[in-house]
Amino acid sequence: MRSYRQCIFILMFVPSVVVMAQEEETAEDGMEEKKSLEWSGNLDAKFTFFHMRESAPQYYLLFPFNKPSSPFLTQYRLEPYLNAEYSTSDLGFVLKTHATYFGDSDASVNILEAYSEANLSFHTTLQAGKRVYNWGKGYAFNPVGFVNPVKDPENPELAQSGLLSANIEYIKSFSTGPLQNISFLFVVIPASGSTGNRFTELKHTDLSFRTSLLLWNTDIDVLAFYSIQTPKRIGMDFSSNITDNLEIHGELGYSRNVETFSIVNNLVASNNSHGISTLAGFRYLHESNITLIAEYYHTDFGMSTAELEMYQRFLATTTQSKNPLMIQQVTKINQMYFHGTNLSNDYAYIKLTYPEPFEWLYFTPSVFSIVHLADKSFLLSVTLNYKPVTNIEFILWPSLISGGNETEYGSKAFQQKVELWMRVFF
Amino acid sequence: MIIAIASSLMAFSQDANELLKMVDDNLMPESYEAKRKLINEEPDGSKKEFTFYTVKKGNDKIAILYLLPASEKGRATLRLGDNMWLYIPSTNKPIRITSLQSVVGGVFNNADIMQLEYSVEYDATYGDGTHEEYLLKLKAKNKTVAYDKLKMWITKEKKILRKMEAYSASGMLIKTLEFKEDKNFGAGLFRPSVIETYSPLYRGYRSLMIYQTIRKRQFPDEVFTQNFMGKLGDLR
Repeated sequence: MRSYRQCIFILMFVPSVVVMAQEEETAEDGMEEKKSLEWSGNLDAKFTFFHMRESAPQYYLLFPFNKPSSPFLTQYRLEPYLNAEYSTSDLGFVLKTHATYFGDSDASVNILEAYSEANLSFHTTLQAGKRVYNWGKGYAFNPVGFVNPVKDPENPELAQSGLLSANIEYIKSFSTGPLQNISFLFVVIPASGSTGNRFTELKHTDLSFRTSLLLWNTDIDVLAFYSIQTPKRIGMDFSSNITDNLEIHGELGYSRNVETFSIVNNLVASNNSHGISTLAGFRYLHESNITLIAEYYHTDFGMSTAELEMYQRFLATTTQSKNPLMIQQVTKINQMYFHGTNLSNDYAYIKLTYPEPFEWLYFTPSVFSIVHLADKSFLLSVTLNYKPVTNIEFILWPSLISGGNETEYGSKAFQQKVELWMRVFF
Repeated sequence: MIIAIASSLMAFSQDANELLKMVDDNLMPESYEAKRKLINEEPDGSKKEFTFYTVKKGNDKIAILYLLPASEKGRATLRLGDNMWLYIPSTNKPIRITSLQSVVGGVFNNADIMQLEYSVEYDATYGDGTHEEYLLKLKAKNKTVAYDKLKMWITKEKKILRKMEAYSASGMLIKTLEFKEDKNFGAGLFRPSVIETYSPLYRGYRSLMIYQTIRKRQFPDEVFTQNFMGKLGDLR
């Protein structure tokens, strides 16, 4: 229902922007004729072959009652992205939408971003609407991404849904001295429906702040998040080129009153704690043009190995009980309390990318792995990316998982999958 | 005869680095905006085209925005001295990359697209030129540039760059660039508008960089910050 409302909103709103753009088309400025309104987008057709792990708890959650007759499944979906951008020298409007289509009866539309901006000067910008923030220097994980959407380490470059907010940013550059740039970003995040309907209490408004510096050729951010409903957080990150082919980065976040969940005696137990999340990583370019990205991520708020095993056992016993009520409850618990992409404390991420090997232009193979360091389970993926013709991209993406049923990756619903994407841009 | 010999001696006594600075000045204003098209031609005749919008200030700030093709539109790179960042619009995040990282596929690489000024990055000495052209031999001042050595052929009359060969530290020829089709870009800027590149590493491939517009323009320093990378298009 909500998706249909969003469709109607887009259909009503976009033509009015088109009219506005036609009326206010900028004049030739001597450089070139730039259109005020620009459309762009892409259509992703994604076919996936799965080899399911029928004994895994997550498999039972996917198919609690009607188990497929074979472990070999496929999925085919379309994902259109449609973006509109209207800009003049001092005003702008951005709309980014994404839809997922499995069939006529199973389709949805999301507004990823919809915001307007006023460039008050080259120093100051004001933005209001739904906006994606992407704080932190890490590639696969961002412990200081206090206002970021939840990142999927399997595909960190995926477009994601933004945050309903308003922000103001001030930038200042310096031509002499070690401090080259400094910026201040202040974000106001109204609570959504905290009274149970469309009204919210003023005191539930969250505030966030980021100061960014380019100091001695090092990027440094100091970040803070204030809320009375959710944990208060502070943090910092940095990124610097140590040599001409080696970049290092790190993040450190401290959070207060974080509610974490575990399973104790087949019940959900919660615990309030303070702690840190941290990341250390580097990006190294070898003379063969191979790039290595490696990151270590730790959070105090993940489950320990024993807690994770308890949780997996709980899932396994309840889902295999065949009791519909129990399975329904477990599914709900899983979605409410254990829905993050990574559940535990310590992970390593490694990615190797070799653009255009063997003089094969526009072809980029890469291999990456996410390892759960405590239980040694891991995901290993290879992506073969090829852009043979302008505006068409093919991606072949096989993945496999290693680990027992009680490990984090071993509990996933599949043991191998192969994705094939065809992306057409306009 | 005497005048010719005298002028020749004067030319050779001229410091090679001064000539290199003159070449830079004849190629680009110190601060400018430009639109250029990059065409990669493959052995089978097929082509891939990219269009960039470039803004540059002084000798250490340059930012590039992809305008076309649609699959790359909105991507941007920023170089601030030896610092370099890549911005991917889908994630709305600048990523610091190593200065040697390639951000565009094909025969061209960062050094061709994110070039600041040769005189900033190289030390020059004279080689054996011809009656019409000087030959400059360039050696990189540090390892942050893609080509360790360059050879440049420069017209004696107008000090315009005509040909360049790029070599690795081991002395291997990486690519040859030919500067063609002189064009008046206005405001006293008369320079080659087409740079043709071919490489022994990519036999049968050819790249053309076509400058469509180059215009002197001043920008505030704030344009060359990570925060501005997603808004470079607003400058056009």
